[in-house]
Amino acid sequence: MTVARATLRLIDRGDLLAALDRAAAGKVTIISAPAGSGKTSLLRAWADRPGQPQRLAVLQVQRDQQDAQQFWLALVSAVRDASGTTSGAEPPAATPDFNGQAMVDRVLSELADASDGITLVIDDLHELSSPEAFAQLTRLLTGLPPNAHAILTTRRDLRLRLHQLRLTGELAEIRAADLRFTGRETRELLDASGITLSEAGAALLHQRTEGWAAGLRLAAISLAGHPDPERFVAEFSGSDRTVAEYLIAEMLERQSADVQDLLLRTSLLDRVNGELADLLTGRAGSEQILLSLEDANAFVVSLNPERTLFRYHHLFADLLRLELRRTLPEEVPVLHRRAAGWFTLHGQVVNAIRHTQAAGDWADAARLLADHSFSLTLDGQAQTMQALLRAFPPGADQPELALVRAMGDLAQGRLDEAAAYLAVAETYAETAPPERQRRLQVAVASLRLSLARRRGHLAGVIEQARFLASPVTGQSDEDIALDSDLRTVALMNLGTAEAWTLGLPEAPDAERHLREGADLAREIGRPYLEVGCLAQLGFASLVLHSYATTQRRCREAIALAERHGWGAEPVIAPALIMLAGTMVWTGEFDEGERWLQRTRQALETDTGPDITLLLRQTAGLLHAGRGRNHEALEEFGAAEYLGSQLAESQALATRTTRWLLATQARLGMTGHARALLAALDDERASSGEIRNTLAVICLAEGDPAAALDAVADVLDGTASVLGYVTVMEAHLLAGLAYRELGDQRAANQAAESALALAEADRLVLPFAMTGSAELLEALPRHETAHAALLAEILDVLHGLSPAAKEQSALSPAEELSPGELRVLRYLPTNLSRPEIASELSVSLNTVSTHVRSIYSKLQVRDRSSAVQRARELRLLAAGRTR
Amino acid sequence: MDPTPARFAIRIHGHLGATVLSAFPALMSRRHGADTVLTGLLDRSALYGVLAEIEALGLDLVEVRCLTSQRKSPESGDRRSP
Repeated sequence: MTVARATLRLIDRGDLLAALDRAAAGKVTIISAPAGSGKTSLLRAWADRPGQPQRLAVLQVQRDQQDAQQFWLALVSAVRDASGTTSGAEPPAATPDFNGQAMVDRVLSELADASDGITLVIDDLHELSSPEAFAQLTRLLTGLPPNAHAILTTRRDLRLRLHQLRLTGELAEIRAADLRFTGRETRELLDASGITLSEAGAALLHQRTEGWAAGLRLAAISLAGHPDPERFVAEFSGSDRTVAEYLIAEMLERQSADVQDLLLRTSLLDRVNGELADLLTGRAGSEQILLSLEDANAFVVSLNPERTLFRYHHLFADLLRLELRRTLPEEVPVLHRRAAGWFTLHGQVVNAIRHTQAAGDWADAARLLADHSFSLTLDGQAQTMQALLRAFPPGADQPELALVRAMGDLAQGRLDEAAAYLAVAETYAETAPPERQRRLQVAVASLRLSLARRRGHLAGVIEQARFLASPVTGQSDEDIALDSDLRTVALMNLGTAEAWTLGLPEAPDAERHLREGADLAREIGRPYLEVGCLAQLGFASLVLHSYATTQRRCREAIALAERHGWGAEPVIAPALIMLAGTMVWTGEFDEGERWLQRTRQALETDTGPDITLLLRQTAGLLHAGRGRNHEALEEFGAAEYLGSQLAESQALATRTTRWLLATQARLGMTGHARALLAALDDERASSGEIRNTLAVICLAEGDPAAALDAVADVLDGTASVLGYVTVMEAHLLAGLAYRELGDQRAANQAAESALALAEADRLVLPFAMTGSAELLEALPRHETAHAALLAEILDVLHGLSPAAKEQSALSPAEELSPGELRVLRYLPTNLSRPEIASELSVSLNTVSTHVRSIYSKLQVRDRSSAVQRARELRLLAAGRTR
Repeated sequence: MDPTPARFAIRIHGHLGATVLSAFPALMSRRHGADTVLTGLLDRSALYGVLAEIEALGLDLVEVRCLTSQRKSPESGDRRSP
């Protein structure tokens, strides 16, 4: 929304403009004065001045704005318009979970990016009634970058804690007394409007209005072309009526009947356009009238350059509305209904609902709200929805609203209350009229699905997914749109629930549903849902795919999220944590830690127990990999506790216990570990993972023979295992046991078996956790087929993981070819060139050529330097991405 | 703060016409010289609602006065004054 051009006959209040100039040079300017003091006019005159140096981002706060997210989206939009950004970022889109902190950061960075500075202009800030938005705004204002400024207008002093700015003299205020018209300015206004009035008359006018801008402007309207201005002023002066009421009545009286009718009837709209006005008056030609009213400076203002949308000054509209209710009371609900119909037709759901409520048609309003609750939530209007909900009278409870209340409770994590309301909604759906039944039942099923997913109750989820099988059979476009929203959300929830069982049987279904959900989301233009589905897909990939594929999918999801500015939102957390996890498993500890940190940030506003458990567990694994067993114990302990709270989602919980036990054993707390072990049921106790844990305990107790017994079942395949990693771990533990027993041959064989299993995904963590450095070092190079991997693992175990700096890329001319990279990986080993050639099945000549080229590109002279440089440039890890 | 409704008298400068008065259906109005006094039984929420309306209409607020003369503590058991 741009600043409407300043219309004629606003005088040039030079002193005031200068004062605003001075004030605006500071960080923040607050213009605080009652309604009608001329704040907005001043802003407009200031903004439209020729040679206005600043770029302005203008936002006029909507009437009774209770929705923080809507406020911020509008502000971000205004800033982007002002800076004319065409950066790669997508335009700001609403999200169901709103992260106010991230929003503020976003605005701050956009402001900082604008090199020659932007001035934020926020008009009518008193209309913002969201406390959290105020807190966020305070943070924005106190943290404005150097070239940015802010001007705020309000009718009353606000709860913005700007003491800091006041103390440093960066806060300027302009108050009512400053805005008051002086006697001289009053005469100027009269002159500019072509009104002839004596000195005495002008003085009288000034006195009566007390220099109040709205009063003077209203008076000017009535005086212009008045046959006897002096008498008008005398009568006005002699009346005790309040200024606004008197003058508005006068002004109205001077309009034709058509115009009066138009003004009254359209007063109940926030925004007026010609078509809607015609509808409300039952006559054509409203647009013309509105245009001429604006030209006559009669408190009608156009909101767009095309001058098709208008707004009345609040004060003016309020009085008109009162007058309408007083003189045409029976018309009021009719008008509201007509407006509601128009808004429905034009897809402006919130306005439609508001007017339906205003008409007193509570049942219809409830139906509208219920029908659109999903879409509104996805549009990021959850708080607006709550405000609409609150507007229903407390007595008569509309059964349709149960669905909306359930959604609100679900979003806030009040699962039991949500379930209760859902039950009410379901009962109602059974008895609803047939044309509403399907829609209601689909909505109820979709909510049940979300609820089941939040509770980790997969069976419940599957049960509710039945309707997904039926194709979308909507009659109207609106039906189809609503259905598509519901379907997409349902697919996402279903796929997510299946993915989090972490089970093999469910994995293909999970992938299919999430893919379908992502595709549908893209089709219907719901980027937030697309990101959600892709994030979960990345998370789900590990069960069926390689680490490399999983990482690729996660990165793709994260890139998409970042393009929309959601890189730190809870929605992308599953992809973040999976990426972090895979890196920890492949020994990229520093990189993994970075992603872990990003996951923590993303989860600040959403602490779902299952993903938090995963976060703690991954953090524990990282610590364990680095040999920090005390910190690892703390994290695993926290994860275990969280696991005990997840009544129904067992898959995650069971995985944690083994790590906890193993870490306890390694810290020498074998008594503890044994006790915990004894408490497990038989089925779990016989699983491969727990058998391994028993082996760890035995080793810690100095009983290698018992350790070998413990892993026997795993190694011969009789114990059930979650995956090949368990078998790998078993080999390592056996190897360590054999070493203790002095059987070096068996130890080497065990180590080699473990390496063989690790080769596919290049897993490093199990070696780190089991403390197998010595085991590996004892393995003669010529007895292993995995020399390169061995060398990498030992690097990690010796703390030589790549530096956690920004990756300094080689320039294109210097990039190593794939063949060179393959040779490079063998350089850290002790293999000679002939041996390397034999490993790679190439000629010695080829190897020598590659090595020469490597030295040249890396600008080194010998093998060890080459290895070091390669580590710095992270080239050794680069060889993994296949 | 006493949550039960109390009688308030709100003084506004100027005489309020029928239109503006229709914004305060719960209150009685009386002229006092150049001012208008609105009186009525209001609990706190209603009071703040009235004040917000006065602000929105740009009226000139002069005084807000609580007319309940005595504020007894509950234990004393005396009847509240009208």
